[in-house]
Amino acid sequence: MKHDNLESGRDALPLTAHDVDLDRVWMNVAAEIWPEPIGAIERSARRLLGSPGLARALVTTPSLVLSWLLASVALLVAGVVATQTTGEPWIALLLPALAGVGVAYAYGPGIDPAFELGQTMAVSTRMVLLTRVCAVFGLNALLGLLATLFAPGIAGLTLGWLLPMAMIAALGLAAATSARSATTGVGVALAVWGLIVLGSAYGTRDLATAVQSDALLPLYALGTLLCGALTLFMTNGNRWNRGFLWS
Amino acid sequence: MDDEALIRALCAGEHTALKDLFERHAPWVAARLRQRLPADAVEDVLQETFVAVWRGAARYQSQGEVGAWIWGIARRQAVTWLRKHDRHDPVFEIEHADDAATSAVQRADLQQALARLGPTGSKSRELVRLAFVEERSVRDVAQILDIPEGTVKSRVHRLRRRLRAYLSGDEQ
Amino acid sequence: MVVAIAQKNVRVEGLVQSFGRQTVLDGIDLEIGRGVFGLLGPNGAGKTTLLRTLATIVGPKRGTVRLLGLNPAQAGERREIRRQLGYLPQQLGYYPNFTVFEFVEYFALLKEMPAADVRPAVVRAIERVGLADRARSKLKTLSGGMLRRVGIAQAIVNDPALLLLDEPTAGLDPEQRVNFRALLREIGERSSVIVSTHLIEDVAAACSEIALLDAGRVVFNGTPDELTLLGEGGAGDSPLERGYTRVLAGARA
Repeated sequence: MKHDNLESGRDALPLTAHDVDLDRVWMNVAAEIWPEPIGAIERSARRLLGSPGLARALVTTPSLVLSWLLASVALLVAGVVATQTTGEPWIALLLPALAGVGVAYAYGPGIDPAFELGQTMAVSTRMVLLTRVCAVFGLNALLGLLATLFAPGIAGLTLGWLLPMAMIAALGLAAATSARSATTGVGVALAVWGLIVLGSAYGTRDLATAVQSDALLPLYALGTLLCGALTLFMTNGNRWNRGFLWS
Repeated sequence: MDDEALIRALCAGEHTALKDLFERHAPWVAARLRQRLPADAVEDVLQETFVAVWRGAARYQSQGEVGAWIWGIARRQAVTWLRKHDRHDPVFEIEHADDAATSAVQRADLQQALARLGPTGSKSRELVRLAFVEERSVRDVAQILDIPEGTVKSRVHRLRRRLRAYLSGDEQ
Repeated sequence: MVVAIAQKNVRVEGLVQSFGRQTVLDGIDLEIGRGVFGLLGPNGAGKTTLLRTLATIVGPKRGTVRLLGLNPAQAGERREIRRQLGYLPQQLGYYPNFTVFEFVEYFALLKEMPAADVRPAVVRAIERVGLADRARSKLKTLSGGMLRRVGIAQAIVNDPALLLLDEPTAGLDPEQRVNFRALLREIGERSSVIVSTHLIEDVAAACSEIALLDAGRVVFNGTPDELTLLGEGGAGDSPLERGYTRVLAGARA
């Protein structure tokens, strides 16, 4: 029923207000209701990174998605249980492998279907890569720390895995970047870590050698630096001039 | 699609229905808001209104016209906007008081302001009663008081300004 | 009195591109200003490689490239070019679980658009390609033609001064192609739009200037009318097509 009175009567009004930009109003309405509101994590990332583009790239990292995190947590729980029951430091042996896989899947032409488009963006593929990798590694290190708190009493367990983890992650990253394939990165990371664990256990008959031996520390440190340097080299924008593809 | 169907579509999550509602109702809501607010305020209020329509579609209870429901939301948003910008439109606010005490006080103020317009039964009071209380159309008021429609409109406009001035304490 | 010289948005001199031992672009010289510029040529002529070079994906083996007056070999200038760039690759990968809005917004953010402008610009781009009804739909639910339009939307979201489109009308029906050409002409009023296409009628209807590439070289550079004039006695169903085949034949002789 229409009200035809002075207070609510539409007939008494002009058809619309001519100085009101209805198109702009609609655009702003659509801008509010078409997308989801930006989450708290992304808002913090924006402030931290100083770049809304990088923040969005970070929260869309494949290996930081909820399902991936839950799988990692499940794996770590299994590792903790195995460590507590058998006395072997399975959890410490697991962590570098986990990080290697997570980092290889963080970003790259092998994993991002729109990578070519990404190469034309002002936020460079290299920045996206480095940001995601740091986040994945940092998160895995944190989870690792929490996990080892539940498996105490095994000597050298608390942080002995951290340096090997850094090296295997760097290796996975370098391999994925050089081969432009996440699978290659994962394969190389797991294969090399497997070799190190078995190789170091062969001589000493102790599986934990890989994460407990002081002699291996320089190897890990050197490996991390070399792989890191290789990654930086492969993603260097100045190689753009000679027709290379990471920038 | 009629308005009620569009609201049902909104509840089902179809955002296309909002565009249809917007095209149908935004122009006249804008015009009515523009009578009381500056253009940029109208744009903000319109935006908040239709976002609120989207979010609150489930609360619409077939109580009559969808248009009236939307206008109700627009008025609330206008009051919010006015308060945020430290401005005051007593007429809007009285139509819209949310709590009984405030509205009672505001109604008392309104009574006093009305009293200043003239004794009960005077032309001004009659006009106010017919136009604002009984909410009659311009044509009806003109017929009842036996004055031309143009005169009705201009007198209502003047009276509204005076009322507003009394209520905001600008006139003694 | 100072007279401003109109800056050509694209200046390419002696551009050579090769992959391994194969030379793909063999000394390209081009100057492109505002308007819609068509890139024609057979498969393997080097159109995609040229577009990828202009899109700053790959640097020149030899020669110089200047885009929007800036040098893409310098990291800082390259970044500024990219802020004003729009690119649609021939095959655009997409993220199946992103909605249309999220996909376009992601790239608007990566183009470093000012944060407050992003969401309204995304709305506008989506409306311009006619996908407003599907703005909240996941990409995996869209048809091929719709996905192509999503790709166009992300390319135009930042109102680019340089818009590069590689086979943009693949998968679009005739009505959508008409709308698309109108969109191109509109953008071409203030920006440089370079379109690589197989479809001669796209070229005839939208482009003010064209270049014909063959085996990595520019064999024709001029207006569609000029190409038509060269078509006397050539093979083809339309005047432009005849010009196309004649020029190609001449270049290969």
